[in-house]
Amino acid sequence: MNVREWALITFTILAQMSVGSFIVLGIVHYFVGKKAGEKQADELSDRALLAIGPVLALGMVASLLHLGNPLNAYKAVTNLGTSWLSREIFFGVLFAVTGAVFAVMQWKKIATFQIRNLVAILAAIIGIALVYSMAQVYMMPTRPSWNLVTTPISFYATTLLLGVLAMGAAFVANFWYVQSKNPGCASEQCVLLRDSLRWIAIASIVLLGFQFVVLPLSIAFMAASGAAVSAAMFVGEYGALFALRLVLVFLGAGVLGIFVYREAQSAGHERQMSWLAYGAFACVLVGEVVGRFLFYATTTHFGLQ
Amino acid sequence: MKRKNWAPGGGKKELRGKDEWVRISWDEALTLVANEIIRIQAKYGNKSIFVSGGSEIGRALTLFGGYVPSYGTTSGGSIHATKTTILGYTGYVNAMMSDRMDHRKTTLFVHWGLNSISSSGGNPTYNHLQNKKNGAKIIAIDPYYTDAAQVLADEWIPIRPNTDHAMVLGMAYTLITADDPKPNPLIDWDFLNRCTLGFDKDHMPTGADPKENFKDYVLGTYDGTPKTPEWASAICGIDAARIRSLALEIAKTKNVGLGMSSATARQQNSDSWTQMFYTFGAMSGHIGKPGSFTADGYYHQNFSGLRCLVDIVQPGSSGLPSVGANPVEEKAADVWTALPQVPGTRLCESWMWKAIADGKYQAVKGQWRDLNIQMIYHGGGAKLQTVDGMSDGIAAHRKVEFVVSQSQILTTNSKYADIVLPVTTPWERDGGMVIAGNREFGLIWGQQVTKPLFEAKDDLWIAAEIGKRLGVDATKIAPLSNAQLVYNQIVGSKVLKDDGKTTEPLVTISDNDVKSLAEAGVVVKPQAGRVALAKFQELGFYQVPRKPGDNFEVVALKAFREDPVKNPLPNKSGKLDIHSKTLADIIESRGWSTIKPIPAYNPAQEGYEATFKDFKAKVKGEYPLQLYTIHYYRRSHSVFDNILTLRRAFPHEFFMNPIDAQARGIQHGDIVLIRSRHGKTIRPVSLTERILPGVVTLPHGAWVEMDEASGIDKAGADNIINGTVPTGQGTSGWNTCNVQVEKYTGSIELKPDYQWPQRIPIKEA
Amino acid sequence: MAKQLGFHINSSVCANCKACQVACQDKNNLPAAIRWRRVVLYGGGGWVEKDGRWMPNGVFSYSVSFACMHCENPLCVQACPTGALMKRADGVVLINQDQCVGCRYCEWACPYGAPQFNEAKGVMTKCNFCEDLLAQGQNPACVDACPMRAIEYGDIAELRAKYGTLAEVEPLPSASITLPHAVVTPHRNAQASGTGTGKIMNLPEEL
Repeated sequence: MNVREWALITFTILAQMSVGSFIVLGIVHYFVGKKAGEKQADELSDRALLAIGPVLALGMVASLLHLGNPLNAYKAVTNLGTSWLSREIFFGVLFAVTGAVFAVMQWKKIATFQIRNLVAILAAIIGIALVYSMAQVYMMPTRPSWNLVTTPISFYATTLLLGVLAMGAAFVANFWYVQSKNPGCASEQCVLLRDSLRWIAIASIVLLGFQFVVLPLSIAFMAASGAAVSAAMFVGEYGALFALRLVLVFLGAGVLGIFVYREAQSAGHERQMSWLAYGAFACVLVGEVVGRFLFYATTTHFGLQ
Repeated sequence: MKRKNWAPGGGKKELRGKDEWVRISWDEALTLVANEIIRIQAKYGNKSIFVSGGSEIGRALTLFGGYVPSYGTTSGGSIHATKTTILGYTGYVNAMMSDRMDHRKTTLFVHWGLNSISSSGGNPTYNHLQNKKNGAKIIAIDPYYTDAAQVLADEWIPIRPNTDHAMVLGMAYTLITADDPKPNPLIDWDFLNRCTLGFDKDHMPTGADPKENFKDYVLGTYDGTPKTPEWASAICGIDAARIRSLALEIAKTKNVGLGMSSATARQQNSDSWTQMFYTFGAMSGHIGKPGSFTADGYYHQNFSGLRCLVDIVQPGSSGLPSVGANPVEEKAADVWTALPQVPGTRLCESWMWKAIADGKYQAVKGQWRDLNIQMIYHGGGAKLQTVDGMSDGIAAHRKVEFVVSQSQILTTNSKYADIVLPVTTPWERDGGMVIAGNREFGLIWGQQVTKPLFEAKDDLWIAAEIGKRLGVDATKIAPLSNAQLVYNQIVGSKVLKDDGKTTEPLVTISDNDVKSLAEAGVVVKPQAGRVALAKFQELGFYQVPRKPGDNFEVVALKAFREDPVKNPLPNKSGKLDIHSKTLADIIESRGWSTIKPIPAYNPAQEGYEATFKDFKAKVKGEYPLQLYTIHYYRRSHSVFDNILTLRRAFPHEFFMNPIDAQARGIQHGDIVLIRSRHGKTIRPVSLTERILPGVVTLPHGAWVEMDEASGIDKAGADNIINGTVPTGQGTSGWNTCNVQVEKYTGSIELKPDYQWPQRIPIKEA
Repeated sequence: MAKQLGFHINSSVCANCKACQVACQDKNNLPAAIRWRRVVLYGGGGWVEKDGRWMPNGVFSYSVSFACMHCENPLCVQACPTGALMKRADGVVLINQDQCVGCRYCEWACPYGAPQFNEAKGVMTKCNFCEDLLAQGQNPACVDACPMRAIEYGDIAELRAKYGTLAEVEPLPSASITLPHAVVTPHRNAQASGTGTGKIMNLPEEL
């Protein structure tokens, strides 16, 4: 592993987390808005929304580090006709722009709720397209361990899992921030927070189950489609790391998720619930980074290299 | 340039090979060298000055009272004395081959050692491909499935190194026992009886004991050991049935080419092998007949004989007059046929480093003389790198008071020197001739590609300048300009006319040529020749147009076969000596080992048998593997080894069979430690099915890089592994070495060779 | 049909000398690490023991020289995000280094290892069919360097008419991926692509 591959790991993880966060945030905002009104929903999610921007930006800066000649980076969107890499960059930039437009509109309350919603939905669709093109970049006949249907599926799983847990952590952070500024408002937010985190916990457990189906499936597919060497690495040379990845995601999304759910049942456990939410996010983030590391480390080239 | 800590008399001699370098002027360098020669000669005499190579400096030193030279078997191994004695033809370069067009009739080629592609470029292979087009079958008998075998061989018969002799004895036994004049004639009795001596008791040389005949040796009549294919098989590792069937196949096929690469003679105790090979060629009927040949060596020179055929293109002489004999040599004589000894002070290469380090040498058998070499002058070449026993060589270099080396790059000779004089390459000189030694393509005109780089000077100029400072007559050293020497060669070159008999000059010299050359100070006379001078120089060579059936197609030794009395061989007996007391006497006189007059099998000091502690019980010893040194595409011997693209292409890996590796827990690509009785080296290992289990190979010529702390050479230099083990005629037996191999677990970090810094002693500011 | 340049590789006489590889580096001034043309050694077989002697059992080896195949379906061109890689009218696949962003995506895409990264310049490099020599009516450096005359170039239609259409032997990948413009004359022991009967015999650091 060199700088170039760490750049790719950082970029793909952060970009996917951004997309996932944006979508999760939108869904939460929608349901909270329906239940508690737009103002409370904004109070819960606006600061989290603003956190997405820097994460995405960091990812995109990281992506430049894998270029040999970053000065030409602006030219990298000129081959949309055939290059998935061009499309990835195109959708990446577009997602950043529409996301930013939405964030500004939402922050400054520009235009109506409906129009803002439309922009958000548009940004979300672009985000989905971004993750899709990210997966397509790796789906080449010369890379049998990547050229599998499980690549986009696992990218989406990562997107949602990280999105869910990142937003869980963000809500918690937001809650303590709001409480420190304005204790009065916080109690209402406290209820919303517990509600949201319960759903986040449920979602993370569901997604965990999904991950645990996709992961073995992808290795089985590798073994069956000319990437047996890659498949073998998951139990051989990288067996320990792969186990670590499974344990971390299981711990974060599963065990801690259950605890978050339990602590979020009733008031008064906000502090424990918060640490659990942070912990769950940290575990899953590290687990996913390890997973992405393995994605690159275990790939084999078909043909001569 | 000068070694930083050098001072007249030596100056921290132990730093040779690791000291820093200081750039000095030509005048200073030449004066320092001349002053040291004068000082050392005055103190120790001329017999203290050793010249390892390069004829030019020899001219100056000969005029100054002489120097100690060396002799060695180099490329030809034990072919030298053996062939010169039993056949009368010197040299080993395609020497006994018929013309290449005659080979087109050959239907079966059997080669003992077939690595012609990596050891001699394209020509032998081109010609063999023509043979294959004609449907010929090619059999390679070699421990390694070589690149040549990959392209050419219809069958590969793996054989243990140093055991070819035993194999062919088994084949001879087959023919002798299965031969029956009427239903099954296998032996060419007519040729044996008329043209050879010593095959059976009825055809012995005068005065020889009839019991010493070859046939009875093969049958075991007197020694009780019949040399059956089974006997041979136990030594060479080839199935006895195949030994038998191959002998019959060769004997029953009309047109057969038997080839013996000189690698099979670069082996210890192989002095009788060449004789065995020609004996088998004679008995199986493949000497002196159209479509057949029995020949040692097959080199780049177009796969055609040189010594026994007339060259179609004959290079002219440079006209450089001799400066006379070297006074230190007691008597000038051909080193290979001189009896009863090699005269005078001449060091056998396979012993010379030890002789210098120990201060004594064996002049003739049992006669050890004191020797006090205090100066080594490398006038060219790469002896320290390319002669066996390099560890002794390094010790010798650190012992003497002064070491000078001439080279273009920091060769190993120069690395261990005190003063290095930069010399030009042929491409920096004002045109030059390459005498290719190919009978139909003898000359190549080398154009000046660049002016001399940096401060490089010609060898002859250096010799003359040092001569001046020694106070000898420098005009005798370089009486002619470089250009005059070159044009003498061109003008004097001849080419055979289409009749194959008479010659004409190769180039036409017009009056204009005479005039324009005169302006450059070159004197030539006008003459009519085959091609205009300008055209020859533009093309760079002259190739005689060839086609099968032309008048240049000559069959080697045909006249001898037809009438051995009228056309005797140029040796003492005039016949092929299957029994040669002369050869046995020559070997005896050298004092390293003894042989029989007939080609009896003589196990090598570090051959297959020596890999065992107990050969009969088949208990392996401390060095259980046989190592030999193949030629390698990365370099020509040691030349070009510092070029990064070549290092990238060829990592100088050590080759081993996976079966031997498995027993040692070694994986493809591991770094392994190779140990012999003489030294240690580390290399990445390539596990390949292309090599016979029990045999390993380390390619020849890598530039030594000694880790002084551990005594391990990091570069895989063959001559660190190969030791000082002279045998027979003083053969350097590179292909005979016992080793042990293990996975390297020490602390040296071995990067791929192409990532090593090149040997660049002084960077231009 | 428009002209398309291609190579004929005569693996049956390739002697593994790598003169093509080194001549290419020399002519194109490439650092040691970058080899636009390479030679791979493929082989296999085994040994059986009989009475203390080892007998070869189907031991074989052969060499294949390979470079950019200037493919009909150049995955590198499709993958390149900047359009720095392009296929010229004569079928030669070229890279415009001024356009290259150095993302090395083409390197992933190519099954022949043709595009190679120049660490010092931060951009990709690849075989340009010695376009400068072609323009002067000369042969590519690799073609002229081969002592076995095992590399030939020309219009692929003509080469195919002369030598057939085989473009894959082990260890070259299946030709169906990129439709390479090369014709291979197989060695007598050549193994079909994908059969895996042998192995690449070179050291990893060598290839």
